[in-house]
Amino acid sequence: MRIMIQLRPTPDLVAAVTEPGPSPSTADVAGGLPGVELDPAFVPVAIPRPLPRSGGDPLSLDQPLDFSLAAEDATVLVRGTISDDDLAARVALLSSLRPDVVGVHADPVIETSLTCGGDAPVGDWRDVERLLNVAALSAEGLDGSGVALAVLDTGINAAHVARQLGRSVTLDAERSWNPSGVPGRPGEFDVDHGTMCAFDTLIAAPQASLIDVPLLMSRRPGGSALDGLLSDAVAAFAHLRTVLEAQPAESRALVINNSWGSFSPRWDFPVGHPGNYSDNAAHPFNLIVASLDRAGADVLFAAGNCGRECKDGRCAFPDRPIVGANSHARALSVGGVDVNGERVGYSSQGPGRLTARKPDLCAYTHFLGSRAFGEAEPDSGTSAACPVAAGLVAAIRTQWPASRLSPAQLRSLLRRTADDRSEIGFDFDYGYGIVDTAGVVAALRRRAKRVA
Amino acid sequence: MILVTVRLPPGATLEDAIERLDLAPEEVDSAYGLVLIDPDQGLYGLRVTEKAWREGAFSDPRIEPYGPPQ
Repeated sequence: MRIMIQLRPTPDLVAAVTEPGPSPSTADVAGGLPGVELDPAFVPVAIPRPLPRSGGDPLSLDQPLDFSLAAEDATVLVRGTISDDDLAARVALLSSLRPDVVGVHADPVIETSLTCGGDAPVGDWRDVERLLNVAALSAEGLDGSGVALAVLDTGINAAHVARQLGRSVTLDAERSWNPSGVPGRPGEFDVDHGTMCAFDTLIAAPQASLIDVPLLMSRRPGGSALDGLLSDAVAAFAHLRTVLEAQPAESRALVINNSWGSFSPRWDFPVGHPGNYSDNAAHPFNLIVASLDRAGADVLFAAGNCGRECKDGRCAFPDRPIVGANSHARALSVGGVDVNGERVGYSSQGPGRLTARKPDLCAYTHFLGSRAFGEAEPDSGTSAACPVAAGLVAAIRTQWPASRLSPAQLRSLLRRTADDRSEIGFDFDYGYGIVDTAGVVAALRRRAKRVA
Repeated sequence: MILVTVRLPPGATLEDAIERLDLAPEEVDSAYGLVLIDPDQGLYGLRVTEKAWREGAFSDPRIEPYGPPQ
């Protein structure tokens, strides 16, 4: 265990630490401490003594205090490591054998605070492009050409996406589809969440053909401006199966991005009820997800924004917030990290409800990208991480249709090659790790050699 | 309206489902129609009024975008 040791050495040593000029070494201050491996690189630090003003309680810190660095008052701090075996006895022995030891304190690892909703962007989409090694994908001919990429969301504004990317985008209007009662033409919806998702898919797969499915635009009494019903998603998936089945069997490639989910059990039957969604693989939507996977589609879901550190205010599941299809065994559940590789605090943690080992992996979010929500607003939420990963999947599909690499094989490849952030394999924060293009490309090359 | 499933032969129509389930046309969401959920199992979905359906209904929860975090 890493510890800090507080000592009261002789006043001349304390003075040497507090005064300007060369400081005594750790060994000078604390040499010979039994059972402690001192850190010689750490320069001893003087700790002032708190002194109560005008005769206050000398043991209380809850009062006005002055602080003294005088040689007879101050203490000195060094740091080191002590064995974890029989820790309490070792610490007690240390204090009893060395009367100059004032205290032994934990020295825990400290980390930067996690990115939360409302925080400024961390990096921009060019950083994401670099981290995804899009140049390497492109060099392999993996740019999404000929791959259908469905964005089930609030509708796409294709002109905005093209403007922000600085290049043209391909929208497959013929295969796009609106739920019943939703007006609007493919690619011509207001700039909003769906436009952000479309932009983020095209970072890794610039040549993919977008299929616009404004699932979250159904207008119902009592609904908010941006939500829908799961039955709309059932119908959307049924439409996408017809899209998939119309493709030649040998070159099927359809990636389905779902940056949405259910925030609350309030609209669901209780867990255990046969009609329940959140925990029930037999719900029709969970069945149709499995059916699309079997037909050759890659289905990706955002893990959700109910991470313990700074969850979305709408999160109402008391625990295990990755629910329903967002935790489906036949879908990739995508958590979020910033461009520094740190999990964003709102990214939902596993275990999932349908499948415990969720999220599967993480991709980048909270970067300045589509500007769908304003010039300085980030593409955020696992809503952005999911399409970033979907773009990578679409890029892979350029030369690896489902007939060559099944959706299950592709999921396994992404998990296997992910950059493990925990050093213990799978964990409920990062899943198997952060998507890693270099690993993916190397694995595909090996696979191509094997099957050649 | 609630979401229900029914097993029907391949190529079934909404009218087939209404007949099989012994429903009145006004008890069914005709705009939603009959949706093929799993062709291997011949499983279809449709939306019907809560009054018309007593058993075997599935939840149809509200779904929302996962971002930006609020």
